[in-house]
Amino acid sequence: MNAASWGWLVLLFPLLGSIFIGLTFRRIPPKAAGLVGIAAIAAAFICGIAAVISLQGEPAESRHVADSLWTYASVGGLSIDLGIYVDPLSAFMVLVVTGVSSLIHIYSYSYMKSDAGYHRFFSYLNFFVFSMLLLVLAGNFVLLVVGWAFVGFASYALISYWYRREAATRAGMKAFVINVVGDIGLVLAAILIFRELGVIDYGAVFEKAPEVFTTTNEWTAVAICLLLLVGAFAKSAQMPFHTWLADAMEGPTPVSSLIHAATMVTAGVYLVARAHPLFELAPAAADVAAIVGLVTLLVAGTIAIVVTDLKRIIAYSTMSQIGYMFVAVGIGAYSAGMFHLMTHAFFKALLFMAAGSVIAAMANIQNIDRMKGFYKAMPFTAAMLIIGALALSGFPGTSGWFSKDEIIDFAAFRGGWYEIFAIGGYIGAFMTAIYSFRIIFRILPGPPCEEAAHLIETGHVVHGEPVNPATGEKEDIEVGYPGEDHHIAEQAMGMKIGMSVLGFLALVGGLVQIPGVTEVITHFLEPTFEDSPLAAMHPTVAEAWKGLAKGAVISVVGIAFTWWLYIGRPSVPETLRRTFSPIYTLFINKWYGDEIIDFLIVKPVKGFGRFANNWFERYAIGGLTNGTIAIVRSASGAVRDLQTGMLRGYALLMAVGTVAILLYFLIRGL
Amino acid sequence: MAIEWYLVLSAMLFSIGFAGVLVRRNPVVVLLCLELMLSGGALAMLSFSRLHGDGDGQVFVLMVLVVAAAEVVVGLGLVVAMFRRRIPLDVDEMKELRG
Amino acid sequence: MLSAILWTPLAFGLISLLAPRRFAPWVAGTGTLITLVLAAIVAIGFDSSQGLQYVVDVTWIPGLGINYSLGIDGISVFLVLLTALAWVPAVAFTASRGTDRAGLFYFMLLAGQTATLGAFLAQDLLLFVLFFDLMIVPFYFLFGIWGSDREGVTAGSATVKMIVFTLIGSLLMLVGAVAVGVIAADGGQLTFNMAELAEKGLPSGSQNWIFWFFAAAFLVKMPAFPLHGWMPDAYRAAPLPALAVFSAVLSKVGAYGFLKVVLPIMPDAVELFQTTMLIIALGSIIYGSVMAFTKIDLRLILGFSSVAQLGFITLGIFALDSTGANGALLQMINHGLVVVPAFLIVALIAERTGSEDIGPMGGLAKKAPVFAVIFLIVTMGTLAIPGSANFIGEFYILNGVFNTDVAIAIIASSGVALAAFYALRMYQRTMHNPLPEGSDSREISVRDGLMIVPIVLIMIVLAFCPQIILGDTRDSVDATVAVSKEAAQ
Repeated sequence: MNAASWGWLVLLFPLLGSIFIGLTFRRIPPKAAGLVGIAAIAAAFICGIAAVISLQGEPAESRHVADSLWTYASVGGLSIDLGIYVDPLSAFMVLVVTGVSSLIHIYSYSYMKSDAGYHRFFSYLNFFVFSMLLLVLAGNFVLLVVGWAFVGFASYALISYWYRREAATRAGMKAFVINVVGDIGLVLAAILIFRELGVIDYGAVFEKAPEVFTTTNEWTAVAICLLLLVGAFAKSAQMPFHTWLADAMEGPTPVSSLIHAATMVTAGVYLVARAHPLFELAPAAADVAAIVGLVTLLVAGTIAIVVTDLKRIIAYSTMSQIGYMFVAVGIGAYSAGMFHLMTHAFFKALLFMAAGSVIAAMANIQNIDRMKGFYKAMPFTAAMLIIGALALSGFPGTSGWFSKDEIIDFAAFRGGWYEIFAIGGYIGAFMTAIYSFRIIFRILPGPPCEEAAHLIETGHVVHGEPVNPATGEKEDIEVGYPGEDHHIAEQAMGMKIGMSVLGFLALVGGLVQIPGVTEVITHFLEPTFEDSPLAAMHPTVAEAWKGLAKGAVISVVGIAFTWWLYIGRPSVPETLRRTFSPIYTLFINKWYGDEIIDFLIVKPVKGFGRFANNWFERYAIGGLTNGTIAIVRSASGAVRDLQTGMLRGYALLMAVGTVAILLYFLIRGL
Repeated sequence: MAIEWYLVLSAMLFSIGFAGVLVRRNPVVVLLCLELMLSGGALAMLSFSRLHGDGDGQVFVLMVLVVAAAEVVVGLGLVVAMFRRRIPLDVDEMKELRG
Repeated sequence: MLSAILWTPLAFGLISLLAPRRFAPWVAGTGTLITLVLAAIVAIGFDSSQGLQYVVDVTWIPGLGINYSLGIDGISVFLVLLTALAWVPAVAFTASRGTDRAGLFYFMLLAGQTATLGAFLAQDLLLFVLFFDLMIVPFYFLFGIWGSDREGVTAGSATVKMIVFTLIGSLLMLVGAVAVGVIAADGGQLTFNMAELAEKGLPSGSQNWIFWFFAAAFLVKMPAFPLHGWMPDAYRAAPLPALAVFSAVLSKVGAYGFLKVVLPIMPDAVELFQTTMLIIALGSIIYGSVMAFTKIDLRLILGFSSVAQLGFITLGIFALDSTGANGALLQMINHGLVVVPAFLIVALIAERTGSEDIGPMGGLAKKAPVFAVIFLIVTMGTLAIPGSANFIGEFYILNGVFNTDVAIAIIASSGVALAAFYALRMYQRTMHNPLPEGSDSREISVRDGLMIVPIVLIMIVLAFCPQIILGDTRDSVDATVAVSKEAAQ
């Protein structure tokens, strides 16, 4: 079997899993549904490994396979195959997606145990994995859009999973609509690609692109790439399409972990890496990607420092880290970007899982102001949180250290104005250290809060009444709400397994890519990027290590500074907040991103809707319609008046008519 | 005898009948007057048939007689029905078909 | 064969009118099923490599050159199948709920089917006009007699509005059709055969005014902005099963008319007014979408979403591009397949909540997961999520328009985002959020499921392989578009 066949199997298992769980809803016990879900993803993971092995068996220059099942649609020369494209890049993504998904499925198996919608959850989750794999494996731009939209749909379904909370449905809607805007960008990009190149399959497009997009035609390539970027930014929550991600935290925590941290939101990065031949022909667009990435990474970092909702801190940190990845793929550090994508998947999924455990112990309260002293109450979770935070802030030796600093090194290495990205990257790294250890220092040490104390004393999690966190109303848990029981990692095997594996990976995952020593990922991805002059550039090993040293210093200093802020001098944050209150207001309101979009787009559209409904429809259309009706009415009214109902009148009329006709002939005859 | 006499007579019958239809309000009389009009028409056709010496007109007249008989049946039936329901026997009172 | 398809519904309609009351639904149901089977046989036997097939051509009124001439080509084959299909759940739904004066109801419904099928099958221009006009008559009675009064609008006045509007359009078209025949004959033998008319051609001067006579009829029928004024009242009054077929199929006859009649016979005028039509279509998309998300009545949301969808279809047709027109035809089928279940779902929702306003609704998914999933799939079809056949339709339409006019394509694509908003809003406001008191979250019954699920399954199959349709329609559509393209050069 070649890599493509394995690729089809990778797609098949999660789809089957999703359909099977969906159809056997309420007919098989929840446990079985969960196990089927896990098995489907694990099978996909194994097939992914098989695909990689089969790929590695080929010589480097032919390490890509395209395969198609049938013609999806073909009209007017625009022929779309249902085809996949397997090369090191997509195989790499398959491994990351299925690997992390398997672990998160195992985690969810325990975490969601008391939820009444267990089947639905696993069916959606499997469907998400299928969609994500479709996105990754798609062999042409149209199928990419399909995968792109399917993950958007799965994300919507899972954000609104607790669908009787209005906040959840609203967040789902927001995410979906913003993602549809991204889809439109991709659709237009695909149409433009077809118009310029006459083909739509990856292989053919990338082969033809350099011939067509010469320097005279560069702006078309830029237009295509910018449209692709609209899709990428919308999916990856980059400015200005970022507002949905924080609201998406309404979904269950495993969903935040899988979709809104580890996999889906990094699709934009994958897209830029996948379309790198186009972006290299349109350097202006690549620069836009990098600049937007940089701006997002800084802005999101500042927000993450001030918000108090545990999941939202991590969500903003996700935006920020994806900003790094966009900087990477924008400046040409593709393998560094993909490497960071992988390590980020490890430590960010881990952080969310640990956060889920804490939130469960708090009976669904997410405000970090309320949390304290969990170090004693939940040692395992605390350890995992610390590992995640260390990796996130790039502590020397952890995976995040290797991957983040590889990006910054490359920016410094490219020199010129690209230095900005290096400087911005270091500032971002400092903020990362602050916000990640802010979590640690606020919730782990100190005297236990009420819930933590309860856990220590009784060994049981607080079983509060299920209330809606937004409204404080009591919730009915029959369907569509988390159950009464909460599960924490210390007491649930599945959660423990998922977290420990990820914790291990977050710690040591960076070792595969030690400059001058292993560099596994660079070598593995080389065939995909062999045509790229940018990817061929490398900082020397010495330079790389110098960069790593700088990163280590910044990370350690940042952590120490955070310790001083929250443990050493706990009064400082409050003073700072008061001193810089305008800046604080700006940050806590998320730079008014929601308000700006509201003002620029939502308000005008709604205003137009009101105008159309209250004014135009009523007066213009109504006038046109009723005017026509009135004319017809009055004309028919005139005729109707003749119908008096008088029999003798009719007779007279008839006679008059007959006589008139006769007279006419008589006169004409004369 | 010249055809004119027959035609004048038929025209008179027709006109008398028509005037009756127009001025009388009793449906029975209206029906009677209708019959007069039919007779006027029939007489004209008979005359021309005789004049041309073929039977077409006579066939027509037979048809007219049959139709007239049918019409009387329906018309008188209506009158009887009106009478039974104590509806005044006056065609001007029956204006339900007004548009 | 085509005559059998055409007259079967009417025959069964007559029988159900005369049959004892309790047999009426069975007779009508049998009639629609037989029609469906016949249409399916024709569709399976259809050979995409040949043009017009199953031709029936009988002289009807020789003096005027009018023939009873039926045929089926790539453009009409799936529309006929859609018509045959759409009536089955409509009759079944009515039968399951019961109705007063059942015999008459089924007679009207089935007469409507015959007229619609006639419009799709006719190959003679006057026959087409005849069926096109006849189509509205049964629906006038269906909406007027079995419709419901709303505040401010009685069913009667709503239907008067509808019939006056559509009849004005139809009469203009009748004039246009006669003019086409007379002018094309140029003193010679009159003929109204569409293919011959297209071959003979018209002087461009006459094309220009005749074009608008036809366009008026088709745009009103769709309905397109700004001629949709009759739609809101009529949609609110109509009985839902009748509305389902009305919205799913009858609106497509207008679009079909453009493709089948206007493009081949009036290519010069089409070329001349292309931009105007594109702008009307664009107006329909934007206006329909915006109106759809300001409305809270489910029928009106669907109604205005139809305006927007028909706007996309018109856009595709007048892109005068192979991909655009094929996309438009595919979208006609898709939209029909989406609308029938959508309106039946509205009926089911109304049964559960006692209302058709989404304002006070919510939470219906609670005990009805299957129902919710069916509605979700239909919703995703409505908003043309990539991966559905609807998406392929819109993709090809946008591609066609992109080749014609980039600016219009980009503005039109914003309609897709608006569609996502109004469709999802409709789903969420009914199925999600807390369940208000007085609403009954009840699972869809097996009986109702049998009416809706088959159509949903067809949607899913098409999502996997829209080429099933495109493969058969491609040649005919390309030939039609080629005529206008030649004119443009």
